[in-house]
Amino acid sequence: MKRRSFLKGTLATGATVVAVNAGLLTPTTVLAEWNSKAFTSKTTEDALSGIFGSSSTTESSDIKLKAPAIAENGAVTPITVDATAISGVESIAILGSKNPMPLVCEYTFAPAALGFVSTRIKLGQTMNVVAIVKADGKLLKAEQEVKVTIGGCGG
Amino acid sequence: MSIKIRMRGKSKAGVAEVKALIKHPMESGLRMDKKTGKPYPAKFIETVEIAVNGETAVNAQWSGAVSANPYVSVKVKANSGDEVSIAVVDNTGAKGSSTLKLK
Repeated sequence: MKRRSFLKGTLATGATVVAVNAGLLTPTTVLAEWNSKAFTSKTTEDALSGIFGSSSTTESSDIKLKAPAIAENGAVTPITVDATAISGVESIAILGSKNPMPLVCEYTFAPAALGFVSTRIKLGQTMNVVAIVKADGKLLKAEQEVKVTIGGCGG
Repeated sequence: MSIKIRMRGKSKAGVAEVKALIKHPMESGLRMDKKTGKPYPAKFIETVEIAVNGETAVNAQWSGAVSANPYVSVKVKANSGDEVSIAVVDNTGAKGSSTLKLK
């Protein structure tokens, strides 16, 4: 790391900490606390229990999971999860089954949002990308294998 | 240093697809520095909030496995003229936000 950017970073972090302590930066709404237990889980099952409280899922063809069959660069794998065909979608989670920590991201939807997410994720090797949709209290699953030709974690 | 975010969105028949491109390294904390053999310190966005006219529509939690300079797109119920905003916080406490008036 360059000295200049390092100094900048330290200063910025220091200032933020002071501001938070003084109660200056109050978010408009209280953000949900980051679920460190689920995100540091080493297996798909543990990650699911951590975030949804259950790891039993049912396959659903209503989830449209769009992922490339072959990803030339695993560090930027475009993933789209379209669950707009399902009613009462509460949240969507995306997992990479063989990543060191499988849970990649989790989205919670208010009634003002539709069950749709498109993003780009890192995949360390060839693996299954799993999309979990929580709708009406049930966990629905869609899975697709993505072949990675170059590793995504820069290892 | 606040996190820079670029947003785009267009409303069509009451539904808007909101796209955001966030400038962030998304360092997972697992990548090794080959010279020193030590991992690069983790720095990634943990929480993302997307709101329509100030009301939360989508709350997201991310791990370090979201790609660097993350792209995210969601669909919300909003009409043209509505204000859509996005706010992010990373694990070091750095924040960023952006607001867009829908066309």
